[in-house]
Amino acid sequence: MKSLSQIKGDSNFKRRIPAAEVDQILYVMKFSINNLKPEQARKFQNYFIRIVATLIVVVIISCSMTIDSVDQPTSINGGETLNVTLHLKIKADASQTSKLMIAILVPKMWNARQKATLTFTSEKTTGVQKMTVIPVGTPAPQAQGLDWPAKIAAQIGSGGNLINDWEWVAFYSDADYSVANEPEFKATVNVSIPTTTDNISFKTGYVVANSSDGLSGSDRYSSSFPGCLRVLGTGDLIDFCNPQLSSVEPRTALDNDIITLNFDGGVTSNPLENVSDIYLCAKAITTTGETLDACAATVKTKLTPLGARRFRIDLWPRDFFAVPAGKTLLRLEYFFTNADGSISVGYGGLSDPFLYTFNCN
Amino acid sequence: MIKRLAFAAIALALLAVIIHSCKKEEVNIPAVEPLKEVNGSWKIIKATRNGTDMTSRFDFTRFRISFSDSTYTIANPVPFIVAGNGSWKFDDGRYPFIMNFRAAGDTLKSTEIQYPVTKGVRNIILSFSPGCKLNTYQYTLEKEN
Repeated sequence: MKSLSQIKGDSNFKRRIPAAEVDQILYVMKFSINNLKPEQARKFQNYFIRIVATLIVVVIISCSMTIDSVDQPTSINGGETLNVTLHLKIKADASQTSKLMIAILVPKMWNARQKATLTFTSEKTTGVQKMTVIPVGTPAPQAQGLDWPAKIAAQIGSGGNLINDWEWVAFYSDADYSVANEPEFKATVNVSIPTTTDNISFKTGYVVANSSDGLSGSDRYSSSFPGCLRVLGTGDLIDFCNPQLSSVEPRTALDNDIITLNFDGGVTSNPLENVSDIYLCAKAITTTGETLDACAATVKTKLTPLGARRFRIDLWPRDFFAVPAGKTLLRLEYFFTNADGSISVGYGGLSDPFLYTFNCN
Repeated sequence: MIKRLAFAAIALALLAVIIHSCKKEEVNIPAVEPLKEVNGSWKIIKATRNGTDMTSRFDFTRFRISFSDSTYTIANPVPFIVAGNGSWKFDDGRYPFIMNFRAAGDTLKSTEIQYPVTKGVRNIILSFSPGCKLNTYQYTLEKEN
């Protein structure tokens, strides 16, 4: 039987090794390991364990980030600036140089990409540190080409906002920061967002991460959703937070758009919850005060069932209400009814109509 | 052997004659992109609102726009770039990117267009905002036979 060194020196070794010779090699290896002296075996075991432990350490996070708390008011007057403070804890297990990333979940109507400002201070930096919005389309790290807003939306979600008119806006620190294996330190982020005068309830959200790790590990980033913010503005309430019996899409539209009136009869107990054929009974008010009615239960006003007690109707207001040339619609007041009109559901399931104001803000 | 050689020689000679007799004739045919033709009646085969397919949710089936040289007429209107009949014009007849409409008594309205051939059929794809500018509609038109 050849020894390992003999096989290795064999010029035939590099060519295809016959099966019989492979068996020889394996036998020699197994024989050699099994016949180590106890001291040698213990050393080999320790060496093996150290290798495995090192590999485990390598995949452990290099920088953990936590949003410890969020200071956010429960309500604000429309048009005022929303000031929010994020209290962060950051710990680095290994050396890393990267930018701090903060993302905010906001209603699109606030145009936060243009108007919000973010700064931070920390125990490791001196003075106020600036942050700049990350242009849409800039790939996030380890995100398969997605930018930060898309990656956060896909992985973290919409914070429970029920109207699809929200966006994530991401910011990077202007500077890169180097951290090494050191104790946990704190940072404070100041978020300043001018709001609009829209009357809304919205669930804000915040994500902290860094430009190296992205969202690649559950403790390499942190998210926080502090609850429903009430903005006391003007106009109809746009409620992102609570399920609604009725909603309208698009959120902003004029009378020459196609609008969709939705009825979700399963959201809450209401007189129509066991009715299968739902109709729209609506009144359109023009900017000059005229009223145009469409309340007969016909094919034209019948809603399309979508299942799970949800219904909708798509209509072109100018045609649906036969708006005369030169006139413009200001708003709709509407109910949902059964076929003969004996059961009617309005706002809150009660007798006041649902309202929709045509606007393009 | 001699016969084979003789045959080969004759074949080569014939080949030489054929090649020499083929004259190259250069013909200069300038490549000119044809003018895009849209005269006729067109219908909507697909409609989206802010990317959502509305084709089966709203009745677009009766809408027709008929182009005739520089004028158009609309039958069974739906939300569109213009509300009434009038005139139209491409920004460039051979390489159009914009279609301009002017309804009678109204201002000029422009829309971006695409002019692809899909499954051998010419389509016109119009993108516009008939109502609030925050909402974008896209209609795919196909010519009626």
